[in-house]
Amino acid sequence: MKVSKSFQWSDRNPVRLLVCLLATPPTAVSWADESPLDTLQVHGFLSQALIVTDNNDFFGASSQKAGSLEFTELGVNASLRPSPNMLIAAQLLSRRAGGEIRDAKPTLDYGVIDYQMVSNQERTLGLQAGRFKNPLGFYNQTRDIAFTRPSILLPQSIYFDRTRSIGIAADGVSVYLEERISTGTLRMSGGIGRPQTGSGLSRQLFGNTIGSVSSSTPSAIAQILYENQNGKFLAALSAANVNLDTDIAGNPAEFNFQPWVASLQYNDDLWSLTAEFALRQQSLEGDNIPTSFDITGQSWYLQYQRRMTPTWSWLVRYDSLINNNADRSGYQYEQSGFGPAHSQFADDITIGLQWTPSAHLMLAGEYHHVNGTGWLPGQDNPDSSATQQHWNMLLFQLSLRF
Amino acid sequence: MEAQPPNIEHVILLVAHPDVSTSCLNKDTTRAIFAMRQRTWPDGQAVQVFVLPNRNPTHARFVKEQLAAYPHQLQLAWDRIVFSGMGQAPNRVRDLNEMRQRVASTPGAVGYLEREYLDESVQVISME
Repeated sequence: MKVSKSFQWSDRNPVRLLVCLLATPPTAVSWADESPLDTLQVHGFLSQALIVTDNNDFFGASSQKAGSLEFTELGVNASLRPSPNMLIAAQLLSRRAGGEIRDAKPTLDYGVIDYQMVSNQERTLGLQAGRFKNPLGFYNQTRDIAFTRPSILLPQSIYFDRTRSIGIAADGVSVYLEERISTGTLRMSGGIGRPQTGSGLSRQLFGNTIGSVSSSTPSAIAQILYENQNGKFLAALSAANVNLDTDIAGNPAEFNFQPWVASLQYNDDLWSLTAEFALRQQSLEGDNIPTSFDITGQSWYLQYQRRMTPTWSWLVRYDSLINNNADRSGYQYEQSGFGPAHSQFADDITIGLQWTPSAHLMLAGEYHHVNGTGWLPGQDNPDSSATQQHWNMLLFQLSLRF
Repeated sequence: MEAQPPNIEHVILLVAHPDVSTSCLNKDTTRAIFAMRQRTWPDGQAVQVFVLPNRNPTHARFVKEQLAAYPHQLQLAWDRIVFSGMGQAPNRVRDLNEMRQRVASTPGAVGYLEREYLDESVQVISME
């Protein structure tokens, strides 16, 4: 009889594996000699930026005087484990990115009960109920925490503020699975829920033309991520489908947003190379509304990070956004009288520097050279005809965490 | 005398509380536990993860050699877990003496030790 390949002596020694399996009988011992309160953890973060631009305003009046200090992020979270396979976690977030001071009112960023029903050597399967963070691309779930960002601003072509609220979290249920396969790990998650439709949403999405935004149909999000065995190579595909009900001058309309994001990363000891590509389909439909549309836009960036020492790192990135693939230069948009052509694209060359002298402190600086205003926040630049196509931006940020 | 592989004294061993019933872990499960994505031992007991500071050389070697990752990657993984509601941060210890003492006294604990710090107060978990 031919011995199957998997039973040959190799780096995966079958005897050791057998010992491993036999030595772990499923038992029902009680380990409940510690109170759930012993597992309580509290963490927080604070970051404050100074933004200076030559033309156009970004997160406040950045082109005036000494710049804008209106980019502040403050968060605190608590978590505890009432039983071995359960986690309860919630985070409050106060964020101001230009706009009004009342925008900084603390909101529930996430609040979940997380239950891992399967957790063994082959896989982990869990479920989150409540307000969960959406896995979209590499950075969306922790986009507001400076320590998890490679630069002060995430690549704006994909992580711009306009669709931040609808993409950041959902109220519903999410399921996640981590499957260990022979070449690495597969992580999958999928959720159904209602996006957040707070007061700033209609302003962020459509300028000031729309009165109210609500979500009567649930939205869906899914991500599959592969990490190879040595953790050097990561690849992910994320997709979402968001439906919102709006009204324009008393006429009901439906807004649909479908982003797809493909993500790739290679990590070495001293450097990381990251690229993401996104396709965004957006449509606004309704009877008797003046501005219906159905467009697909694309974004991509390529980013190289270099760790010079354990405390110093630098980054260079090229980031590109096209709002409507059928009108890449924005010519038709301008001809139709909606606004300047340069509002339909943005190419951003970024160089950045980070200094992390301790686990609790980070100082960063970066420079952006931008052609186009595709992701420039409308609320900072209410008159789009007054914006400049070519602009430069300098940012400094101090971040703390505990 | 038996021939010994070089640097045996410098091998970093995965250790656990003596009552933990799991005696071996595969590399991917160990990574998931230290990345704080998996919260229980395979038999259902809660895991308590102990780590040295990021810049401790033993930590760096354990992460590179046993987890096939880099300390900065692991720190990023913790930040992502802690600030997205997917899990908790590991317990920090100052040095290897505190590591041994905390792992020995905390039910469900897992950590790592240089061989010279090993004694019978903790059990060694073999890695597949």
